[in-house]
Amino acid sequence: MAIQPAKHPASYRDPAGFIFSQDGTIYRQVNQVFQTDFDLFINSGCYQALVDKGLILAHREVDLQLPTDSNRYKTLKPELVGFISYPSEWPFDMLKDAALLTLRLMKEAIAFGLILKDATPYNIQWHEGALRFIDSLSFERYDPSQPWDAYRQFCESFLGPLLLNHYGKLPSAKAFLAYPDGVPVSVTAGILPWRSRFSFHTYLHIHLQNKLTKNATVGTGQAGNFSKQKLLNLVSSLESLVSSLRLPKQATTWSGYYDEASTRNDYLARKLAMVREWIGLLSGNLSCIDFGANEGEFSCIASEANLETVAVDFDPLCVNRLYQASKAGFRKKILPLVIDLSNPTPGTGLDNREHQSFSNRGKFDIALALALIHHLAIGKNIPLERSAAFFARFTKYLVIEFVPKSDEKIRLMLSGRKDIYTTYSQENFESAFAEHFETLRSADIAGSGRILYLMARKEADIPAANI
Amino acid sequence: MTNFLLYIDPGSGSYLVQMILAAVLGVSMFFKNIKLYVKHFFGRFSKKNKDN
Repeated sequence: MAIQPAKHPASYRDPAGFIFSQDGTIYRQVNQVFQTDFDLFINSGCYQALVDKGLILAHREVDLQLPTDSNRYKTLKPELVGFISYPSEWPFDMLKDAALLTLRLMKEAIAFGLILKDATPYNIQWHEGALRFIDSLSFERYDPSQPWDAYRQFCESFLGPLLLNHYGKLPSAKAFLAYPDGVPVSVTAGILPWRSRFSFHTYLHIHLQNKLTKNATVGTGQAGNFSKQKLLNLVSSLESLVSSLRLPKQATTWSGYYDEASTRNDYLARKLAMVREWIGLLSGNLSCIDFGANEGEFSCIASEANLETVAVDFDPLCVNRLYQASKAGFRKKILPLVIDLSNPTPGTGLDNREHQSFSNRGKFDIALALALIHHLAIGKNIPLERSAAFFARFTKYLVIEFVPKSDEKIRLMLSGRKDIYTTYSQENFESAFAEHFETLRSADIAGSGRILYLMARKEADIPAANI
Repeated sequence: MTNFLLYIDPGSGSYLVQMILAAVLGVSMFFKNIKLYVKHFFGRFSKKNKDN
């Protein structure tokens, strides 16, 4: 009897095929029912054209002895994506670019006689410095007499969250925590301000759609006399609306942080040099996460050392700026995500397993936690032991900065508050982290009183010769 | 009473919407094209003047 493939928990919606993993490698099975559409996608040249333009993830057909079921037509091995992220973690401009990528793929596909049968941000991932569409089973034969099946899905999973953010109502990432499959048009229409009706395309795709859907009864949606030109008009209208959306301008707590930090003697320069040197010691590692990345000055060092780097911060505006820099090539290979460490992304979807929690996805070789521990300990009241256990879940090596209580920043945080943080001390910090980590190096940063540590998780296999 | 469509396939509810939207967009494209044509016509005219 053939071994049944271990289907990915998120791969159950589409009858055309599914994702499964075997010995740590990800495969995609194409089912027989989708044979005609898949062959058209490949034979029309559409697949190759999109791969050449860097818009979709490449795959190759494999014919190994793999688990299969009776529906199999082909098995594909897609390129491996480093770190899977979700729209509930994306900054505004990343979701906007994902929306524009979806619309561009629509136009490209139509030219080959194909169409996207779904429009969801979960089909898009950050891979090698750009957003790429990952689902090769989303392209099906285009029938010009029919409208776009995924139109409403596009409006709910891209347009809604983007508009809510554009009009300053809600960060787009947060909208996905409440509605993982996109914000219903009626909800978006209810929240958007009255003035949004004066934007022609917003009125059409949100307010008018909401009105028509409310008043429609089942059966009135007779389709059949649509046309390619009408579809292209619709796509262009969505494109011009999405392109016009902007993140509202606000100064954040952290904007200008580095400008301010660098004025403190040679603190920043010294810290940069130390982190660079220590990362250099850990050669041979592949991935890095920068907790509390701000605008990614330190993520950049990791990225320059050729580490796949994920930069997380809770401030959506900071993360958005880092995304723009990363996209423009100034911050190569960095994936910036909006994550609140005191409340990381939960598991969502069917059985809470469809989209895995951030903690379950995060396995890195190196983690940076610079000028962060006091925000967790004093800003969020997280005990040092809990922080140490949290970091140990994610990483083998940890570069962490301890900020003493006498530091100006902590005094500022405590001004006007009762100091209940009697256990916050260097000694307690070291003993809390000693539970999980072994300290390899430690040094004072340019006489600032702040101390930088290089630690290795206790069970990790440390290449002692290098350190 | 108005929420029947929430219970049927999300795609089907959008057919009627797309038909109406396509009609509206068709009209708007028609006028946009006229606008572009006129702009282009006078643009060419004024450019000629500048050249002279």
